[in-house]
Amino acid sequence: MLKLVFRLGLLLGIVGLVGGLGLAAGLRRGYVDAFYARFTSPPAGSLIVGTSRAAQAIKPSELAARLGQRYEGPWLNYAFTLAESPYGPGYLSSIQRKLAPGTRRGLFILAVDPWSLSLPNQALRGAAPTTSASPDQAVEFPEANSMVGQLASVSQNPNLDYLAHYLHKPFYQLLLNADTARVIERLHPDGWLEIALPPPSANPALLRRRTAEKLATYRALAASSHLSASRLVYLQKTISYLQRHGQVVLVRLPTGAAMAAVEAHYQPGFDQQMTELAHRYSVPYLNYLPLSYPTNDGNHLTRTAAAQLSQRLAADIR
Amino acid sequence: MLFNSLHFLVFFPVVVGLYFGLPARWRAPLLLVSSYYFYLSWKPAYGLLLAGTTLLDYYSGVRMSRLATPAQRRPWLYLSLTSNLGTLFIFKYFNFFSDTAAALAATLHLPLAAPTLALALPVGVSFYTFQSVAYIVDVYQGKLPAEQHLGRFALFVAFWPQLVAGPIERGAQMLPQLRRPHDFNYGRVASGLRLMAWGMFKKVVIADRLALLANPVFDHPQRFAGLPLLLGVAAFTVQIYADFSGYTDLARGTARVLGYHLVLNFRQPYLATSVGDFWRRWHMSLSGWFRDYVYIPLGGSRAGRARTQLNVLIVFFLSGLWHGASWTFVLWGALHGFYLVAESLTAPARTTLGRWLGLPTRPHLQRALGTALTLALVAYAWIFFRANTLPDAFYIATHLFSGWGHPTAQLPAALAGLGRHFAAELLVAAGAGAILALVDYRAERGSVAAWLAGWPAAGRWLSYAGLLLALLYLGIFGSSQFIYFQF
Repeated sequence: MLKLVFRLGLLLGIVGLVGGLGLAAGLRRGYVDAFYARFTSPPAGSLIVGTSRAAQAIKPSELAARLGQRYEGPWLNYAFTLAESPYGPGYLSSIQRKLAPGTRRGLFILAVDPWSLSLPNQALRGAAPTTSASPDQAVEFPEANSMVGQLASVSQNPNLDYLAHYLHKPFYQLLLNADTARVIERLHPDGWLEIALPPPSANPALLRRRTAEKLATYRALAASSHLSASRLVYLQKTISYLQRHGQVVLVRLPTGAAMAAVEAHYQPGFDQQMTELAHRYSVPYLNYLPLSYPTNDGNHLTRTAAAQLSQRLAADIR
Repeated sequence: MLFNSLHFLVFFPVVVGLYFGLPARWRAPLLLVSSYYFYLSWKPAYGLLLAGTTLLDYYSGVRMSRLATPAQRRPWLYLSLTSNLGTLFIFKYFNFFSDTAAALAATLHLPLAAPTLALALPVGVSFYTFQSVAYIVDVYQGKLPAEQHLGRFALFVAFWPQLVAGPIERGAQMLPQLRRPHDFNYGRVASGLRLMAWGMFKKVVIADRLALLANPVFDHPQRFAGLPLLLGVAAFTVQIYADFSGYTDLARGTARVLGYHLVLNFRQPYLATSVGDFWRRWHMSLSGWFRDYVYIPLGGSRAGRARTQLNVLIVFFLSGLWHGASWTFVLWGALHGFYLVAESLTAPARTTLGRWLGLPTRPHLQRALGTALTLALVAYAWIFFRANTLPDAFYIATHLFSGWGHPTAQLPAALAGLGRHFAAELLVAAGAGAILALVDYRAERGSVAAWLAGWPAAGRWLSYAGLLLALLYLGIFGSSQFIYFQF
C-alpha cells in the first residue's frame, strides 16, 4: 500500500505543481468571467443589490466618488442575474456573507422590478403564496441550487470553491485571455459589469434584433410567472437586515420603452406596491423607469448610460 | 454526490483509506454506511424509499427461500414486483400517463381532470429497481439462493459505485463477491485508478465539452437547418457515449479499487457493424436485463418469426420508456425496434446485395460500410432521445439535409455555446474525440491495459501525468450531472 501511496503522491505532486503554476499564471492575468471578481473582493461596506440590470447600470466607482465621505466602503456591485439573484433566501444569505462585519454606515441600493420579485407558476407547491401565512414554505425557489445560493466563501482570493464548481470554462482559457480589450463582458474590481459593445447607433439593426429577442423572452416569462409574496417577504427581510447596517434605497432602474410597457402590462400596480413598501420601511424609493436611457438590448443600459445614471443616482441620494 | 465533484474527491480517498485500514469484518458495514451517505447526499428523504424497498425485497426473498413450490412463492414475488414497479410507476410514470390521458381527453372533448403528483424523480431509481427485480425473479425461479444476511443484501442494492446509474448487476455475479474478503492489491487498485481517470477524461473533457455544442442546437432547433443541426446531432452522438461510458468506467474503476468486479457495460458500441451488434455492445447490462426478464419470458425467438419481431418491438418500446417518461424516449426505443426488425427482414436481400458487390472478398470494406451505416442509424435515432419535445425531434429529423445553400450562416449561433475560444474548443474536442476513437479501436483488437503494460515505464508515467493535466486544464467543471442520472 505504501508503494501505491508513494507513487500516487509523486504523480499527483508533479501534476499539482504544474497545474497549480499554470492556474496561478492564469488567475494573475486578472479576468476570469463575469462573476468571479465579486467573490474574491474583500467584504463590502456598501452594496448594490439586484439582477443583471443593476449589475450593468450602477457603477460603484461613481457613487464612491460622490458619496464616499458619507458611507462606508469598500463599494461593491453585488448584483448578478435574474436566474442567480432574485430576492430570496439564497441571495439574502449571500448578501449577509458579503457584508463587512461591523458595518454601520453602509449604503445599500436595492434595484427592484417585477421580474426579480416573481416566481415561475410551476414553483407553487400548494396554495397560492399570496394568501399563505408563511409564503416561503409554500414554494420552491428555482435559484436554491444556483451559484449565489450555494457558494459559502464569497470573499476569498483565489476562490477555489468558485473555480471548482461554477467556472463554466476550462482552465486553459484563463491562459488565453491575454487581450482583455477584446473581452465584451468586463467585470470591474468594484463589481460593475461593463458590456463593451459599440453604441446602439452604430448598428440599429442589431439593436432591433436583440431587443426583439429580449422582449420575446420576457413576454414568455410574464405569461408563465406571477409576482410572488414569498419574494416580497425576502425583499422585506433584505431591507430589514441591511437597515441595521446603514441606509437602504430602493431603486427602479430605467430600461427600454418596450420593456417598460411589458412590465406595465405584467404588473400594473408594481410602482404603487413599491411606494407603499418603501413608506412602511421608511426608505427612499427612486423610480427611474420613466427616464429614457440607451440600452444594448432593450433591457440593459449601455456603459455610457450606466455612468450617467450612476451620477444621477448619487446626486439624488445626496 | 457526483463523481465529478469536490465532494467525491474527499469522499473517495476517505472511504478507500478506511476500507483498507479497518479489519476485514468491518469493511462491508463501512461500504453500506458510505453507500447510504453517498445516496442521502442527494435528497435524504429518498434514502427511506431505498431502505423501504430493500427491506421488502429482502424479506420477500427470504420467505420465498423457505417455500417449496412456485405457487407458494408467487404471492411474495408479486408483492416485491408491485413494490418495485409501483415505486417506479409513481415516481417516474404517473404524471406521464396522467398528462397523456388528459391530452387524449382534451382531443376527444371529454371532461377529464387528470391529477398530477409533485414528486421529484429519486436519482438511480430505475437502476436499483431493475437490479432488485432481477434478484427477486431469480430467487423465485430458483436460479439464485436468497441472501439471508440483511446487511449484505442492502449493500447489494445500494453499493455506491453502481447505485445511481448502473451497471445493473445480477445477484449471482455480485452477492458472492460481497461474501468474500477483499484485501489490498497494488495492481488491482492501480488499474482501478487508471480506469477512473479515463472515465473522468471522457466525462469532463469530451462529453461536457460536446454538450456545449449540442445544447444550443437541441434547445432551439428551429433556429437552424442543415449543417448546424448535423453538427449538433454528431456532437450529441459522441457526448452520450463519452458521458455514459465515462460514468461506467468511473463506477467500475471505483469498485475495482475496493476489490469488486462490475460487469462490462460498453464494448466499443460505435464500431458495431449492425444495429443488433450495437445492442450487444451498448448498455449491455440493461440489454441483458431486457433479454432475460422480458424478451425470453415473452417467448423470445421460439414462437415463430412474426411473434419474434413483435417481442423485439415490445422490448424496445419498454426500453425507451425505461429511459424516460416522455414520448421522445418511447419513439427512440420504437425506432431501434424497427431498425432491428428491418435488419432481420432484409438480411437475405442484404447478403445477396453484398455478394453481388463482391463485399465478402473485401472484409475490411464490408466492415467499414456496416459500421458507418450503423453509426448513421444510431445517430439519427439519438435525435429523438435528446430532443426536448416531439415537434423539436421531428423538426431536426426532417431538416438535417435541408438548408445547405448557406451552410455557414447559422454556424456562429450553433457554436455560441463554446464561447469566445470556439476554435480552440473545437480543436480540443476533435483531439480528445480522436483519442477516444483510438482507444476504442485498440480495445477492439485486445486489452488496452495489456497494451499499456507493454509501454516503457517513462511512457506510462507520462501518459498518466498527461491524462491528469488534461483533466485539470481541459476539463469543464461546473457540477454537470451525468445524462443517465436522470433515468
